[in-house]
Amino acid sequence: MKALTGNRLDDGEAVFASGDRWVPRFADADLFEDDQAALAAEAHAKTELTVVVDPYLIDVIPSDNGYAPLSFRERVRALGPTNKPEHGKKTEGGEAIEALLHAHGAARSKGRIELIRRK
Amino acid sequence: MYRYDAIDKEMLADRVQEFREQCARRLAGELTEDQFKRIRLMNGLYLQLHAYMLRIAIPYGALNSAQLRKLAFIAGTYDKGYGHFTTRTNLQLHWIKLKDAPDILEHLAEVGMHAIQTSGNDIRNITADPHAGATADEADDPRIWAEAIRQWSTFHPEFSFLPRKFKIAVTASPSDRAATKVYDIGLRLHRNGDGELAFEVMVGGGLGRTPYLGSTIRKHLPVRHLLSYLQAILRVYNRHGRRDNIWKARIKVLVASLGPEGFAREVDEEWETSDKARVDLPDTELARIRAAFAPRDFQTLPATSTAFEAAKSNPAFARFARHNVKPHKIPGYALVDVSLKQPGETPGDCSVEQMQAVADLAERYSMDEARVHYEQNLILPHVKLDDVPAVWKALDAVGLATPNRGLITDIIACPGLDYCALANARAIPIAQAIARKFADPALAERVGDLGIKISGCINACGHHHVGAIGILGVDKKGEEFYQLTLGGSPEANATLGQSLGPALPADKVAGAVDQLVEVYLRERKGEERFLDTFRRTGLAPFKEAVYADAH
Repeated sequence: MKALTGNRLDDGEAVFASGDRWVPRFADADLFEDDQAALAAEAHAKTELTVVVDPYLIDVIPSDNGYAPLSFRERVRALGPTNKPEHGKKTEGGEAIEALLHAHGAARSKGRIELIRRK
Repeated sequence: MYRYDAIDKEMLADRVQEFREQCARRLAGELTEDQFKRIRLMNGLYLQLHAYMLRIAIPYGALNSAQLRKLAFIAGTYDKGYGHFTTRTNLQLHWIKLKDAPDILEHLAEVGMHAIQTSGNDIRNITADPHAGATADEADDPRIWAEAIRQWSTFHPEFSFLPRKFKIAVTASPSDRAATKVYDIGLRLHRNGDGELAFEVMVGGGLGRTPYLGSTIRKHLPVRHLLSYLQAILRVYNRHGRRDNIWKARIKVLVASLGPEGFAREVDEEWETSDKARVDLPDTELARIRAAFAPRDFQTLPATSTAFEAAKSNPAFARFARHNVKPHKIPGYALVDVSLKQPGETPGDCSVEQMQAVADLAERYSMDEARVHYEQNLILPHVKLDDVPAVWKALDAVGLATPNRGLITDIIACPGLDYCALANARAIPIAQAIARKFADPALAERVGDLGIKISGCINACGHHHVGAIGILGVDKKGEEFYQLTLGGSPEANATLGQSLGPALPADKVAGAVDQLVEVYLRERKGEERFLDTFRRTGLAPFKEAVYADAH
């Protein structure tokens, strides 16, 4: 399963594709079971020049009563920095945040690999 | 302190306006991200995990109170109320919005600051000994030369597209407080046998994937030829430095491949044929810059202060005096270290309230000067000993009086995976966990001088290679692991750390540091520091303690 993410152009916030919008909460992200649909959404996102920067697909796994990104890096993006409890999306709390906090998957982040490739 | 003149101010104003227009074009979709990225990076604006990050240059780490207050204002208005001081004496703001960036740059320009050349393959912010102008052991004030290099290298057309980024550090003291051996060019001012000022020029130091200590290619460069000689080095690098492989593009790889002698020969050939007079600083210009750093109007005071000595009856102050108060070149004055390493907090982070407090103290007690140390701390460089108790009290009120400079809790940590898009692993929580273990000031003091340095990836912003205990975060199939190195030092007799053994999972690192300290306390003789004991015993006893369970 995959989700589509990127950073919002005007403020840099980590956002996720949800229908025809980009939303800050991972819990509101569209989850793609079909890889072709995910790739099509990514291709479309790359045309949204004034909305989102460098969109890419991430792997998603079940966690607690919800879902979470497989890669730890992507969970940090979805939660905010771990050194400051008062900053970032985790401050919202609730079940969806708990699902992210309790996720245990691990994988290299495609976002980082792409970034280094382009450097 | 150097003040921008009318030309500097006009140049900055133009640059801000240009960037404002470029941002507007990007937001309107007239520029693609690929087109814009290079432009925003040229203005110090990165895109990281949670937001844009603005890296603000603080040349040779020097700030006046107006500048520090402006940084506090920007952090409070456009960020989340804090900033992060880095190992390059820059300030990073981690929660910046693209749409605010031009306004922020305009604010910075008002106090003679900017973020130009804090990214890109150019000559970056020039760093120097943070004790400059206050220490008795310097041959000259290194800020004068750092400022000359700053002016020469800013917008230098020939060196704006180097094979890779380029960093220069200047010291004028035998005690290296600027880590000059791990810079692309490290400059050490000294007086030669005839009493003339000269530079020892070290080239090809650097950390990252392939760490090297700089090699001395000229022992006594007459100071008047500094700029022409730097030009020759940069020209040789520009000509022969690799551009085909980002991991082999730094000057250290070129110096290693030609050998220091071979590299020096190339530089000398280039230098001898260049028109030195066109490049070297005219005496009048040097005098103009030197005047900006003229010795301050120090008072004649007794070498000891009754108030300072009396305050030591308070054990907390006495401990602060032992670790955070350093001798000044003028009797009756001191340098006061402001630790940004309260155990449990993020190393290098400074809140708006703290920045304002340091600005107030700088203005009232330190001749309007504050400094950034590359070890992610601040300094009040010119405080009367009589005033140190009052300064301590004011620092304590805002959580800045941690008496731990140089101790085990004075940890360097890069932002790591909590913020940085390039990081493999987190650095800050590792630092927090270690610092909590040694939070008792008496314990930290018993352990003594011990530099722990943590990087969240091989780029080594946290200087792990030169940590007495170095910690490098690595990615093992997406999980955070940490490789430990021992015996590194950034000092004048610099060394690179040796690998301790296989990488450890995150939850084992603080415990491993505890074990390393236990071995040190068991093995140390007399006044040995951790580093001295390690150099005597070698890796074996430390390795045995940490990996005992594995055998």
